[in-house]
Amino acid sequence: MTGRSSNGMSDLIVDHMGLGAFVVDRDLNLTLWNRFMQNRSGRKPDAVLGQNLFDCFPELPRNWLSKKFESVFLLKNSAFTSWQHRPYLFRFLHDRPITGGIDFMRQDCTFLPLLVDGEVVAVCVMLFDVTQVAMISYEREAALSALSESSRRDGLTAVFNRHYLEVCLSEAFTAWVRTNDDFCLLMIDLDHFKQINDEFGHLVGDAVLRIAATRIGELLPAGSVFGRYGGEEFAAVLPSTYLADAFAIAEQICAAVTHEPVQCGDSLVNVSVSIGVAQTTDSIKQYEMLIKQADGALYLAKSRGRNRAVCSPLG
Amino acid sequence: MSEHLLTEDQRDALQEIANVGMGMAGARLAALLGEFIELSIPSITPVAVQDLPGMLGRLVGNQEFVTVVRQAFTCDVRGEALVLLDDDSIPELWELMGYDEMSGVLDAAAEHEILIDLSNLITGACLSCMFEQLGRSLTFSPPTLMGRRTSLSSLLRPETMAWDVSLLVEVKFSIENHTFCAHLVMFTVEDSLRTLKLALDDLLECT
Repeated sequence: MTGRSSNGMSDLIVDHMGLGAFVVDRDLNLTLWNRFMQNRSGRKPDAVLGQNLFDCFPELPRNWLSKKFESVFLLKNSAFTSWQHRPYLFRFLHDRPITGGIDFMRQDCTFLPLLVDGEVVAVCVMLFDVTQVAMISYEREAALSALSESSRRDGLTAVFNRHYLEVCLSEAFTAWVRTNDDFCLLMIDLDHFKQINDEFGHLVGDAVLRIAATRIGELLPAGSVFGRYGGEEFAAVLPSTYLADAFAIAEQICAAVTHEPVQCGDSLVNVSVSIGVAQTTDSIKQYEMLIKQADGALYLAKSRGRNRAVCSPLG
Repeated sequence: MSEHLLTEDQRDALQEIANVGMGMAGARLAALLGEFIELSIPSITPVAVQDLPGMLGRLVGNQEFVTVVRQAFTCDVRGEALVLLDDDSIPELWELMGYDEMSGVLDAAAEHEILIDLSNLITGACLSCMFEQLGRSLTFSPPTLMGRRTSLSSLLRPETMAWDVSLLVEVKFSIENHTFCAHLVMFTVEDSLRTLKLALDDLLECT
């Protein structure tokens, strides 16, 4: 304590300062309760002073908080708590009841040992309202997660983009090497897309891409990763799937895409896709080889007249 | 650089209070954790700013990734303390510190809290016990996690540091019959070093 002569002033400051301050003795009985604590808790000093902290506030995390106090008494050293680990100690309302969107005041605390002749006689807890900081941090996290999601998406069709597809394919391949859990890759290409663009214009071409992506996506089993590989080409990774099942799905996709023409403004556009199907097999040593196999099968599907699926041979 | 270097007497005095301080700190930590605590003999080294990352790297056996918690300490001597922790021992520490009985789930926030709490205990005990002998009582900033499993070079960039030479006190902390270990590194720079030298001179005069 500095300046004993100004104790009266110190008391006033502690009482009125804009942060919570309270003191407990060795038995965790309250010996100081400032105005911030009084106003936020609705408990007047008369109602709490001389009483055990946990009797007054049974909702406090007793085991954990007792350990904090114990460490201060034993080590004669400050302890700290952060809202990032425990959002709050006391269920205090915060100053943004309307714009806040979070339940209780976020709190950081400092536990300060009060020493007399080298012994800790009491612990002063300073409680800081960090609701504003916490809210900014929550907003930042939400923005970062939205950013990370949008960095995986294709801007036109909103399915995954090529980069993310390759990341997933590479991960699936690494897992397959370890577990031997076979999976399939579909390479899907819109037929005569250049002609659609030339005949109906790029706006219609874009709409065709979006609608085709929707029709394909609806038929893929749960857990598949589906994205736009580039231009008018899409790819899908089908986990835990054998070639025959993947081929059946590919045929359903061909049928569904071509089932009805795409309506765009006044234009009715007939659309179809060709699909190459490949499955993991021992001769495939990198994920790029799987793409090559599926591409080869896609080439065959094109050369055999389009609007069909072709499997790459196993082995 | 020479003005920042300790004389032989000052060095001996600092070594002595560091030794005694760690002994006291070890006893207090043992009482709190209920385990026997081993603190190495503190090593005191002046270090030039560009040598700092290499020096800390050698401390942790040149591991590629480290977990570091930092904290500032203040009296008329100011400085920062870093605790370099062993991230793999978190489940062990969780039980040791009795957190398993309190919250139940060892999630990311709980892991973060263990790292921060333990670092605060080590830093607080060791530094307070050292500075008590110089008649000083320290205040500490709240500890913050600088990085988990991050490369030292991305955490400490000498080109951004506004000092040339620092005095480094290092001590290794381990717990008997546990694999966990941590390194506490305390450093003071420039002005504070002058103050520390004066404080050591005072101590030498008294004895």
